[in-house]
Amino acid sequence: MGGLTMAAPAVSTAKASAPVETSLPPELPMAGEPAVPFVEIEALRAQQFIPAAKEALGALLAEQGQSKLIRPVFNWAGRNSLFPLHWGLACCAIEFASAFGARWDAERFGVVPRSSPRQCDLMIVNGTVTWKVAHKLVTLYEQMPEPKWVIAMGNCATGGGPFRTAYSVVPGVDKLVPVDVYIAGCPPRPEAMLDGILRLEQLIRDRKE
Amino acid sequence: MEAEELSRALAPALGDRLTAVEPFPGTAGRVRFRPDGALDVFRRIHELGFTHLSTVGGIDWVDHREVFYVAWSDALKQYVFLSTDLPADSPHIESATSVWPSADWHERETWEFVGITFDHHPDLRHLLMPDGYAFHPLLRSFKLHEPEELEVKVRHV
Repeated sequence: MGGLTMAAPAVSTAKASAPVETSLPPELPMAGEPAVPFVEIEALRAQQFIPAAKEALGALLAEQGQSKLIRPVFNWAGRNSLFPLHWGLACCAIEFASAFGARWDAERFGVVPRSSPRQCDLMIVNGTVTWKVAHKLVTLYEQMPEPKWVIAMGNCATGGGPFRTAYSVVPGVDKLVPVDVYIAGCPPRPEAMLDGILRLEQLIRDRKE
Repeated sequence: MEAEELSRALAPALGDRLTAVEPFPGTAGRVRFRPDGALDVFRRIHELGFTHLSTVGGIDWVDHREVFYVAWSDALKQYVFLSTDLPADSPHIESATSVWPSADWHERETWEFVGITFDHHPDLRHLLMPDGYAFHPLLRSFKLHEPEELEVKVRHV
């Protein structure tokens, strides 16, 4: 590791745009060195790390025959460790919270709510989405790593609910992000939410691509 | 403090900028004033001890609009109710932020929902609606939209 010294800050490394094969990924700065701005880290991630990871994964899948061997394993792992990012916007969040209490215990399905979109692969929108918060919802959705799913929980997230024609409410969160499972109810009971999660697991089990 | 006492305290300093002072339940009185003398009224009311501005709001009466202020006095333990009428075609009034800094967000909200412009407001922009929102939704002329129609208008602004 000591051999990989960084001659210039990561800014100039990204701008040099050398061929991907020869350029070494820049190390994170040590204590005392100037920090790399967050935007630069994001740019590096998008330009280098994600394409490299996709290429390596694609090569692995092509080698192994993706639908026969690797894909079922990925699907099995994915559907048994769904980490939801929850949008506690309205009363559905109360039902969401009680689904993780002792009585319904959603964690037995491997569903563990996380606080950061970077750790999540499932977004559960439980509540009334307004236009004011819409672009924040899209931003957090885009920060979640692939593959990712969205559950619209309750009538408000599904279609705007009783506020459908109101001046400030998004008429359904599927106007903003692609939704996989809709859960009806105002609010849905925790059993309904668990049923939605199990149906999503069925979707992931059948995933082919 | 009663309405008559309030009237005696206000009338000499304000003159004809004061339209009426009448009893109003639960308050020291309801002060009606001309909109061009608003800042003098605010200052005088503030001098009387009403140092906390509790609410600013607006009403759309179709032929005109009304803007009202509710101020609280800690010494008197009383509210005072101020209101004035504005023309419907260009409703604007001097901002109260130079007298009560807490008027900032209240006036932003009033502008946003009822469309009353506050002159010399330090930062008159949207408070509860997204930036670029094209309507004043509590006006009587505002019609409920079909969801798709509203969505397009909000997104493309």
